[in-house]
Amino acid sequence: MRTRIRAGDPDAFAELFDACARSVYNHAFRLTADWSLAEDVMATTFMEAWRRRTSVEAEGASLRPWLLGIATNVARSHHRSNRRYRNAAAAAHAAEERVEDHAEETAGRLDDRRRINATLAALSLLKRPEREVLTLCLWEGMEYAEAARALGIPVGTVRSRLSRARAKLRKLTDAQLLEEKREPTRTNRQITGDRGYAVRSAQEGNR
Amino acid sequence: MNASPSHRPHPAEWTETQSLLPSAERDLPAGRHQFHKEQMMARIHEDLRTPSRTSSRTSSRTSSRTSSRTSATSPVAPVKRSNPFLRRTILLPAAALALAGAVAGGLALTDGGTQDDTTALATGPALTTRIGTADAKGAPQLLDRISLAAADTSAPTPHKGQYIYIASKVADTYIKTVGGKSEAVSNELHSRQVWNSLDGRDGWLIEAGETSDKGITLKSNVPFSGAYNALAGLPTDPAALLRKIYQESDAVRDPEVPRDQAAFVAIGDLLFESYPPAEVGAALYKAAAKIPGVVAVDDAVDATGRHGVAIARESDGERTEWIFDKKTLRFLGERVVVVKAKAGDLLKVGTVTHTSAITERAVVDANKQFPGQVS
Repeated sequence: MRTRIRAGDPDAFAELFDACARSVYNHAFRLTADWSLAEDVMATTFMEAWRRRTSVEAEGASLRPWLLGIATNVARSHHRSNRRYRNAAAAAHAAEERVEDHAEETAGRLDDRRRINATLAALSLLKRPEREVLTLCLWEGMEYAEAARALGIPVGTVRSRLSRARAKLRKLTDAQLLEEKREPTRTNRQITGDRGYAVRSAQEGNR
Repeated sequence: MNASPSHRPHPAEWTETQSLLPSAERDLPAGRHQFHKEQMMARIHEDLRTPSRTSSRTSSRTSSRTSSRTSATSPVAPVKRSNPFLRRTILLPAAALALAGAVAGGLALTDGGTQDDTTALATGPALTTRIGTADAKGAPQLLDRISLAAADTSAPTPHKGQYIYIASKVADTYIKTVGGKSEAVSNELHSRQVWNSLDGRDGWLIEAGETSDKGITLKSNVPFSGAYNALAGLPTDPAALLRKIYQESDAVRDPEVPRDQAAFVAIGDLLFESYPPAEVGAALYKAAAKIPGVVAVDDAVDATGRHGVAIARESDGERTEWIFDKKTLRFLGERVVVVKAKAGDLLKVGTVTHTSAITERAVVDANKQFPGQVS
């Protein structure tokens, strides 16, 4: 696959798009808090990938980390300030809440919306560099070294950014726990006993 | 690269992220996947027909579908960083929390477990050290002597095509949470080997717990900031060099990190896992002497147990120490030590949060080649 991408084989790019477009789209959303911008970022990412095809290493596993690295760069150029991210996140949050009023909403979709809102709330707490590493490591399941390669930064930097992100998330978790105590009937948090899922998806990200 | 998530908790395992997993993903709106795919394929076929064309214009493909989003197909130049300094300066205080290493003996080695081909690192209680006495007045003199020693090195000059090989022993301390109970633990001292091309665009990393025994490539479009060529291009006038360092670190610094601390760490990054030309190394130490708050420390121990003197700077309750041999003033290693604890901190005063000792620094003929090996 890598050889074909490097050689500029159109079919290889078609396969790459089919395999990774959704992933890049969702990654871009987490970085921009805006679905329509995420679509733009996704499209630009693949154009960039085509342009930079010769930079693909000959050896290695999945090309997804490479694509997500490009997507992160593209998203960065779209959106610069934290204030803008928070505004976008607030708007996206409001949009998700509005749709929840629809009666025909299935329970699964509701869960997804809640989870998306929880994600935005968490990511809004972070600075851009922290958001980038957390997004790659948590939702894309990358290992530290892999995220470091994708972003072109030292592994130590990834670790430190994650540690800072974690400290900030802890505050959020505490705040949510408080809220739950106050409103015992409302559960905003997803209880996920399904740890296996997370670990499995992390491994897929490495293939 | 298949690092085990068990040795250093991966974000997917943090209690803080459990409410965010499993992730909610969404498909592209109906028809958009196909639309963008066609746009991409159109661009590809167009480029293949006219290979010399630059990709600066948008696709002219006539599509039956029109879209307000065709702007998405114009390539956006990605933000490229030409910053020759490591971006670690951005997050200094945080580095403390996560990267805490521990020296001293007595690591109670617990079962690390193995997954795939990466062996997990064992962890033990967070290790501590005696905190050396800091002396602000002594720093300029000590740095002057260190600078002289650095200028004097008769190390070979690397040539085009060669690689810089750095071997070190490192350990980190982090907060581990099991069943709601958090404590500071240190992973075992382990070996780390890095190769970097002179232009910083190619290299290799083998680090226990982080990569498999085979290692991973460090090939990148973004050149490594501490690469030989980047260092060789730095000014050797200490004042000019320091100006440049402040300028570069200001551009990427996290506002929460004090300016002087960011500059100090930036210099450390250039000196540590690198091979600076003698005159640049000397200038970097002289530049460090001009940073307010830099102190000399009478005693510090590197990751392998070697005692030395240190140049240090404290920020946010932590002291970053560069350790040098007492006699030769050769650079031995670096460590970060907690010197002031905040209420509720799991990292107590005297905890070594990160430690790293250089054991070998060499010029080799090829990537992944060990010193002394013939290519």
